[in-house]
Amino acid sequence: MAHSGVVSETTSQPARGRLTQRLQQWLPKLALAPTAAMALVGIYGFMFWTGVLSFTGSTFLPSYEFVGFDQYVRLFGNARWLTACTNLAIFGFLFIFCCLAIGCFLAILLDQRIRNEGVIRTIYLYPLALSMIVTGTVWQWILNPSLGLEKLMHDWGWTSFQFDWLTNPNMVIYTIVIAAVWQASGFVMALFLAGLRGIDPAIINAARVDGASLPRIYLRIVLPSMRPVFFSSVMVLAHIAIKSFDLVMAMTSGGPGYASDLPAMFMYSFTFTRGQMGLGAASSIMMLAMLLAILVPYLYSELRGQRNG
Amino acid sequence: MAQLQLKGIRKTYGNAVQETLKGIDINIESGEFLILVGPSGCGKSTLMNSIAGLETVTEGSILIDGRDVTHAEPKDRDIAMVFQSYALYPTMTVRENIAFGLKIRRMPKEEIDAEVARVAKLLQIEPLLDRKPSQLSGGQQQRVAMGRALARRPKLYLFDEPLSNLDAKLRVEMRTEIKRLHQRLGTTIVYVTHDQIEAMTLADRIAVIKDGELLQLGSPKEIYERPSCRYVASFIGSPAMSFIPLKVERDGGNLRASLRSADDDQMYVPLPEKLAAYEGKEIHLGIRPEHITQPLAHKAGQEATSSGKFRIEVTEPTGPDVMALIRINDTEVHCRLDPDHTVDPGEPAELMIDLSRAIYFEAGKEARIDV
Amino acid sequence: MASHAEKKLTPSRILIYATLLLACVAYLIPVFIMIITSFKTTGDIRSGNLMSFPEVWSVDAWIKAWSSACTGVQCNGVSGFFWNSIKMAVPAVLISTALGAINGYVLAKWRFRGSDIFFSLLLFGCFLPFQVILLPMAATLGKMGLANTTTGLVIVHVVYGVAFTTLFFRNFYVGVPDALIKAARLDGAGFVTIFVRILLPMSVPIIMVCIIWQFTQIWNDFLFGVVFASGDSQPITVGLNNLVNTSTGVKEYNVDMAAAMIAALPTLVVYVLAGKYFIRGLTSGAVKG
Ligand SMILES: Nc1ncnc2c1ncn2[C@@H]1O[C@H](COP(=O)(O)OP(=O)(O)O)[C@@H](O)[C@H]1O
Ligand SMILES: [Mg+2]
Repeated sequence: MAHSGVVSETTSQPARGRLTQRLQQWLPKLALAPTAAMALVGIYGFMFWTGVLSFTGSTFLPSYEFVGFDQYVRLFGNARWLTACTNLAIFGFLFIFCCLAIGCFLAILLDQRIRNEGVIRTIYLYPLALSMIVTGTVWQWILNPSLGLEKLMHDWGWTSFQFDWLTNPNMVIYTIVIAAVWQASGFVMALFLAGLRGIDPAIINAARVDGASLPRIYLRIVLPSMRPVFFSSVMVLAHIAIKSFDLVMAMTSGGPGYASDLPAMFMYSFTFTRGQMGLGAASSIMMLAMLLAILVPYLYSELRGQRNG
Repeated sequence: MAQLQLKGIRKTYGNAVQETLKGIDINIESGEFLILVGPSGCGKSTLMNSIAGLETVTEGSILIDGRDVTHAEPKDRDIAMVFQSYALYPTMTVRENIAFGLKIRRMPKEEIDAEVARVAKLLQIEPLLDRKPSQLSGGQQQRVAMGRALARRPKLYLFDEPLSNLDAKLRVEMRTEIKRLHQRLGTTIVYVTHDQIEAMTLADRIAVIKDGELLQLGSPKEIYERPSCRYVASFIGSPAMSFIPLKVERDGGNLRASLRSADDDQMYVPLPEKLAAYEGKEIHLGIRPEHITQPLAHKAGQEATSSGKFRIEVTEPTGPDVMALIRINDTEVHCRLDPDHTVDPGEPAELMIDLSRAIYFEAGKEARIDV
Repeated sequence: MASHAEKKLTPSRILIYATLLLACVAYLIPVFIMIITSFKTTGDIRSGNLMSFPEVWSVDAWIKAWSSACTGVQCNGVSGFFWNSIKMAVPAVLISTALGAINGYVLAKWRFRGSDIFFSLLLFGCFLPFQVILLPMAATLGKMGLANTTTGLVIVHVVYGVAFTTLFFRNFYVGVPDALIKAARLDGAGFVTIFVRILLPMSVPIIMVCIIWQFTQIWNDFLFGVVFASGDSQPITVGLNNLVNTSTGVKEYNVDMAAAMIAALPTLVVYVLAGKYFIRGLTSGAVKG
């Protein structure tokens, strides 16, 4: 890292005292110090600490009697953890896929010189301002097996309609997908729309003069140049999926049974309600590992891309 | 190669109150190099986009080789266009960029390869074919943009400020190259620029546009020597033409006017007889810098030349010439002097004014007085 | 982009508008249901359906949600939680924004050996799955005597919010020409003067982005609230969750929806009033992160 800021570190100023000059040089570093301390302790120190705990037999209180990889072995022998991971795979895949498909589709439509575009965009995005707990509460009500959607359809004349996903252990995870997609797809739309707006209109004109049809322009020219947007969307959505906790908590509390558990939910209940701190720590370290598994390749390709200009 | 006719083109953007194009009529001959010049925002790009079919016109019609294409899609007009921002497809290599239009027209693969090779050779971009646009310099991108246009051998080429984003030296080089290409290929070209040197050097004919109106259409020589109005006169030529207010007087049989220097020296210049109608009135004399010089032996004694002493206010050596600022009738006037004859700012110098190419305007009016 | 000349209503454009409108309805319906349900009476809920309007518009559910609904053993509504959230969000937003501004200023304009590495390390905080710091944080807050206090929550939100605020400000200040700082230095301005007199006055937009982003994040947070607070310091999200998932008595969806509205209103109002700043924060946080 070169010190390439605006400031050359040797400013030769007369008299006025070396002290002030010293202070001026130290001020920037001093200003960063509180944050540096917070980040060092709060992010890296605590991460390390959790790592240590995951190798101990801690239960209700931290204990430092080390048990090696026992907690990890227990974790992967735990049916509930495995369900949580399977659920995360299903949820993560469907959530990311649906958000991308819907977001990208709506962005392309919105980019066709739409009247009242601002209003429509505002509507697509407002769910993001809501808490996941609110979202979960609402969808829990809408999907309520007796009084919700089912009753509505019956009232509207579709009497054979049945919708019990919320209480069906095999289907409950999909209800969470629905609510999450409702909340986050507008966000992908905003990212794609910003990306589309970043394209030089002359490029589209050039393609039209070249004779390309509108679908072809989108497939061959516009979407390929959306690659960075696509990857950063996947990144953010995957991040949301891994951290998802509030939504499950509010909609199903992980139920029925633990059919809609996600790792974040598992971690919470084992650590804070069941007093299995060691196991909880191990599960949180696994969540970190999942995140790194997608973050590291992403950053790697980003950095390499930057270097290649 | 084709003929292009623009008939009464009018255009108002959907969300705009002002009309952007106010009835443009131009006939462009086959093989002609037509340049559109005008200030920024006058509607040049709008006109180009209308020709290409990227914008619909509100009124009027566009004919290519006699065929009405006013409502045809861009792809059906057989036009190629080069954009100011180059507009290269960022995710495709240079080769794919050039081939894209050919592929859409379902040209066989071997022919596409041959065409790409031909264009690459013509523009000397062969080593760049497998690069992405982001890996090219501005000048190289510009070449590729031209290559993409040349590949299809369309009927008509549109260039919308193709050189504006290049630095000065490259711009001059590419200008020459475009001229050479046109001479070699003999294609019909409509070319937009706001650079008047580009306009003068490249054009067969120049169309000067202002506020969506065609002010004058003519050869560079005509535009330079016989500008139709004050705006055209001042837009073309650098430094710009000077406009000197003067009063038409009759002295015996001849019309004349007095020019007063900053030191209150008076001199009289003869005026053409066609200005007789303005006797006693004030008119404006338009004169280009190269017609006020140090006394030239070969022009001395000619009917339209006269000499007088003027104080030099500022000098600006450009190398081949020295541009100088003098004051006549309380107006700043540019003149072009020979660098070998030293003149000193603040000192008076003997200058010769040649009115044979001068033009005249009614005071406060745009149109030129025909003399 | 998309500069298709035609703006006439061709069939394909009608189809586009129809699709967009349909999507609007899909996004709006849940909140529509939330609102009409919150004004229904219990009987209304049983007799009507999701989309039916209330027989009589009643604010009973709202009053109950605010002041007397049961959130676990207590039955005081969500009002206490609401005020807790305000007491937590306001200081946390202000402190994290102020810290972010200073950090961003240093990282953009006073870079030194190691400052870029520091920035990268800090950025990781934007991606951190918070589960991985819950246990040590709980233990530390306990040691400091801040467990289950609003102060504790404020600290947690500042520590993990500062990564975002720093990112916002740094990216904003990077766009300010260096020449401006150089000119100010030649005029004799120092570190503090340049920041206070030159950069801060031009930072209004990014301060808005930051405040709105942080407010939304902190107000909507549930994880920290449920883990680090108890009883009389819990934020509204925890209150709402307790109210909805409390198993005593009959389920009253109208009260649930009223409570959800109460929890959602502050961020919704902010979104409606200053949505463009919210969206700007959203996209810049995601793309640059
Ligand atoms: N899509 C558009 N909608 C409304 N007005 C436009 C649009 N494009 C250009 N204009 C207006 O039309 C005028 C001419 O623009 P343009 O043709 O781009 O000028 P030039 O290329 O000569 O600089 C300008 O005043 C501009 O603001
Ligand atoms: Mg233009």
